[in-house]
Formats: sequence, structure tokens, C-alpha cells
Amino acid sequence: MKNKIITKPKQAIRIPLIKVTRNNLEEQVRQQTDKLRIRDGQLRQGADREKLGADRERLGADREKLGADREKLAEEKARQQTDKLKIRDGQLRQGADREKLGADRERLGADREKLGADREKLGADREKLGADREKLAEEQIYIRTKAMESTLDGIFIIDVKNSDFPIIYANPSFYSLTGYSKSEVIGKNYFLLYKANADLRVVEEIKQTMRYGKSFHGEMLNFKKDGKKFWSSLRIAPIRNTDGDITHYVVAQTDITLMKKRDSEIEEQREDLLHVTRVGKLAEFVSSLAHEISQPLTAILSYAQAAQRLLKGKEPQLQEILRYIINDDQRASEVIRRLRVLLKKNKPTFEPIDINVLINDTVNLIMTHITVKNKVVKFELNSSLPMIHGDRIQLQQVLLNLISNSLEAMEESRDYNELVIRTSRKNNDMIMVEVKDLGCGIPKENMKKLFAHFFTSKPDGLGMGLSISRSIVEAHGGHLEAKNNPDRGATFYFTIPINMKKDQ
Amino acid sequence: MSLNVYIVDDDESVCRALRTLLMTYDFEVKTFNSAKSFFENVAHDDPGCLLLDIHMPGVDGWEVQKRILKSGSTRPVIFISAEKNDNASIRALQVGAVGFLQKPVNGQTLVDLINVGFQLTSEAK
Repeated sequence: MKNKIITKPKQAIRIPLIKVTRNNLEEQVRQQTDKLRIRDGQLRQGADREKLGADRERLGADREKLGADREKLAEEKARQQTDKLKIRDGQLRQGADREKLGADRERLGADREKLGADREKLGADREKLGADREKLAEEQIYIRTKAMESTLDGIFIIDVKNSDFPIIYANPSFYSLTGYSKSEVIGKNYFLLYKANADLRVVEEIKQTMRYGKSFHGEMLNFKKDGKKFWSSLRIAPIRNTDGDITHYVVAQTDITLMKKRDSEIEEQREDLLHVTRVGKLAEFVSSLAHEISQPLTAILSYAQAAQRLLKGKEPQLQEILRYIINDDQRASEVIRRLRVLLKKNKPTFEPIDINVLINDTVNLIMTHITVKNKVVKFELNSSLPMIHGDRIQLQQVLLNLISNSLEAMEESRDYNELVIRTSRKNNDMIMVEVKDLGCGIPKENMKKLFAHFFTSKPDGLGMGLSISRSIVEAHGGHLEAKNNPDRGATFYFTIPINMKKDQ
Repeated sequence: MSLNVYIVDDDESVCRALRTLLMTYDFEVKTFNSAKSFFENVAHDDPGCLLLDIHMPGVDGWEVQKRILKSGSTRPVIFISAEKNDNASIRALQVGAVGFLQKPVNGQTLVDLINVGFQLTSEAK
């Protein structure tokens, strides 16, 4: 039904014309009215329905629109909301930033404060450091000064800017070492302290060292103020200023006298030991040599004596030759016998000897040789010397050795041909014999080895002469030494005790 | 009849020279270069004086003298040596030798001593 009504809304409503009595009419009218009303109502209802439908439709559309609007609105709202949120967020964030900034500023302030404090502290520290440094420097200077004053080495400083080379500082050890006082040292030329006694070569070397700005390290014999000798080890080093120029020299001096003494004692012991060894070896060598030579000498002597007997009363010239052969054979045998005696340390035969007579006898033995060589022997013999006790042949051997060495030293020279033999009284116990030549002298490097066995500077020498000579002199209780003369040549000299017991 | 002299020395030249010398004194001389050779060739009772070198390789002079004494021989012995150590001359007399001579020996001295040796031996007999 509802649908019928809806389908007829556009048909005009027709009202039927009926004759009606009043009542009836009225009724009719009422009824009609009612009908109309109903109709109207119905119509209205239909319209309404239509309207309603339309309305509904509209409503639906509206609703749709509303929905869309609402959606839109919601969206808008949401956007607005988001925006608001965003703003809010931004606001919030801004707040936080502000807060942070504030905190940062606060912190910065604190930092600045701290920095200020630190700076202050730093300043204080720096000040302290400066003070510490100063203190340290002072301490170091103190320690260094004390060290210089306390060391047992003598230390002094020379000012080389001044051409007088004055000593500007010397430590207490230097004064105690040298015996000089401060006033005798400070401001004085260093080299003046050496005086004339010092080894001029070393002094010159030191001067050169300073002249060339070098360092020096060496040993030298020094003299204390009282003239007492002491050995010192010297270390001299330049002191340079910041430009590298030498302004001063520092000298450190150590007393090594004791060390030297110990060294020389050790050296002596070593020498003694070597001597014993060498003598031992030499004895062995000479012993076997002597044996080997003795055999042919025995044979020669026997042959010569046999021939002598066979020629008895005949051939006087041959007899004479045989006599010479026998004599020389016996001389050779005698040398060997003596050599053996010497090296076996068998006691030599001591007898009272006038040394001047012995010298004359010995020179006579080789006078021909001396004359042939165009040399002259000058005697400076002290005639009031007491007798000595010794082995004549051994001492003659020593003299012969020294004389022939001297002659050989002058071999090359024509201008210098004088040999001096001098005897003198050395002291209460000793006499001294000197053999002086004007030859080439002894090179420094040979001085020490001079008396060593088998040391020789001669091309055909055996190197036994001086060593045997020294052994002989020492066996007599004396000493044999050598020295170069101040002018020319060398002097060999030996001492022999006067009061030597006969049975020794 | 000439007297016998034996020489024991390891040096051949010494042996020959001493023989030459002693032959001029009319001795009958025989030489040996070692003690071994001497004992092999000379019986202990063969008469004669012995010149004995002390220093020899192998059996030395002292040892030779010991053996001679042990064999009961009365042979006169004269020691000779180039070296004169160990109190050789005294020791020589102690072991019954006639004497000791150091080389090189003088001919006449040697002959005198040899003659002393012969004299002592004949007196002993």
C-alpha cells in the first residue's frame, strides 16, 4: 500500500458532487471534510511521504554530505589537531631547547669560572715552578761546586781569553796536591807552575793542545811547591761559550804516583821473572852449544898434539903453526868454560883486583884493533881507588864488551873517534867505571831492550854481550846502566862494590 | 909389548883424534862409539885402560863403569867429558876410576893419567 500511495502523488484529487441535505450536507460536508481531511491527510501523507522520501533522500544525501563533511571536518580537525600538536611539539621543543640553553649557559659560566681558577692556579704553579727551577738551579750549582771542591782530583780553570793564561779557579785538592796557596795560583800563568823541572816535551805538548783548541790526556812528572816529585795524570779540555769559541780550559789532575810505583814494581817483578826465564833458556842453549863445540875442539887439540909429537925435532914452522892451533883451541875452550860457569851461576873466582890495572890490561888486548879502526882511547882513571874483589876474566869480558860496542858506535864517524874510560869512587861502597863514546847514541825505543838477551842493533850481532855483561856485573853486586850523553854518543857505566867478601 | 887403550865416545871425530894422539905415545888404541859395542868386542878380562865419555846416548859412562866393576874387572878407567858438573871429578874417584879429565884434554896430561892407571893396576896385581 505504501508503494501505491507513493506512486500516486502526482494525480489531482477529485472531489465528487453529491446533493446533500443540511445535516446531511453538513454531515456530508464533515464527511467530505473528513474525507478531504483524510484525503488531504492522505495526500499530505503521500506528499509527506514523498517529501519524507525526498527528505529522506535529501537527508541521506545530507547525511552523506554530513558524513563527508564530518570526515572532512574530522580530517580538518585532525590536521588542526596535528598542527596544534606540531605547534605544541614545537613549543615544547623550544621550551626544552631553552631549558638546555639555559643549562648550557650555566655550565659555560661554571666552566669560565673554573678556567679562571685554573688560570690562577696555573699562574701560581708557574710561579712555583719558576721558584723551584731557581731552587733547583741553585742546588745544582751548589752540588756542582761542592763536587768540584770535594773531588780528590786537582781541578783548575784557565782563562784563555787572556793571553797570560791565568788560572781563575783551583779546587782545594789542587792546593793540597801541589802545596801552593791560593794567592800563588790564582791569576798566575799555569805554565809558570811547572818551572824548569818539568818535562819540557809534555809542557810543549800541552801548549800546542791549547793553541789548537784540542784536548790533552797524558801523564807527566810534576813538582810540588817544595820540589817533591809526583806523577800526575792530566786531562785538559776546552770550555766553549754559546758561540762555540773556547774561553777557558779545565784541567783535572790526578796523583798517580802510587799507581806508577805499583806498576813499576809489577814491571820489575815481571822483568825479574823474564830474566830468570831468559837466563834459564839461555843456559840450556849455551850448555848444548858448549857441548857441541867442545867435541870438535877436543878433536882439533888431539890432532894438533899428535902432529906436534910426530913432527918432534922437525919442521919448526909447522911446529909453530901447531902451537898456535893448540893455543887458539884452548882459548876457545876457555870461553866456553867461562860461559858455562856464568850461566850455571857457579860461583866465580873472586880475587882482589886493581880496576885501573885491569882496564889497562884489557885495552892492551885490543890496542891493535883500536889503532886499525883509527880510534883513540883516553883514560881518566882515579889512581886512589881501593882494590875491588871480582873475577878478573869476567870483568875483563864486561870491559871488552863495552869497549868494542863503543868502537862500533863510532865506526861510521871520522870526526868523532875518541873513547873515554873513566874510573871514580861512587860512594863509600862502590867504585864506578864509565865507558863513553861519541857515536850515534842509543835510540829511545832501544833503551829498555838494550840489556835483553838476544837483543842487538848490529846486523851480525848475537845480542848476548850486554846481557851477559849485566849478569856479570850484577853477580858482582853492582849495576850496569846506559845513558845517552847530552851532547853526543852514549855512556855505559857500571858499579862494583869495594867490600865484597872473598868467599862470595 | 904396547899397552892397550880403549876409547868409548859417541863422537867419532873425538875417538879418531884421541886414537891418533895416543898412537904417537905407542899405545894400542881401539875405539868404540857406544858402550854396547865396547862390551860386545872387549872381554872383561882383556887388559887395557879405558877412556870413557860420560855423556852418551843410551848407556852412559857411569853405567859402563858400574858394569865393569860388577864383572870383577880391574880395568883402569879414566872419565872424560866436555862438561864438568855434578862434581864429576870427585864422583869419578868415588866409583873407582883413575881420574876425570875435561875436554878438550891435553895429550900429555892424558898420557900421564893413563900411565898412572896402568901402574895402579899392576900394583894391585
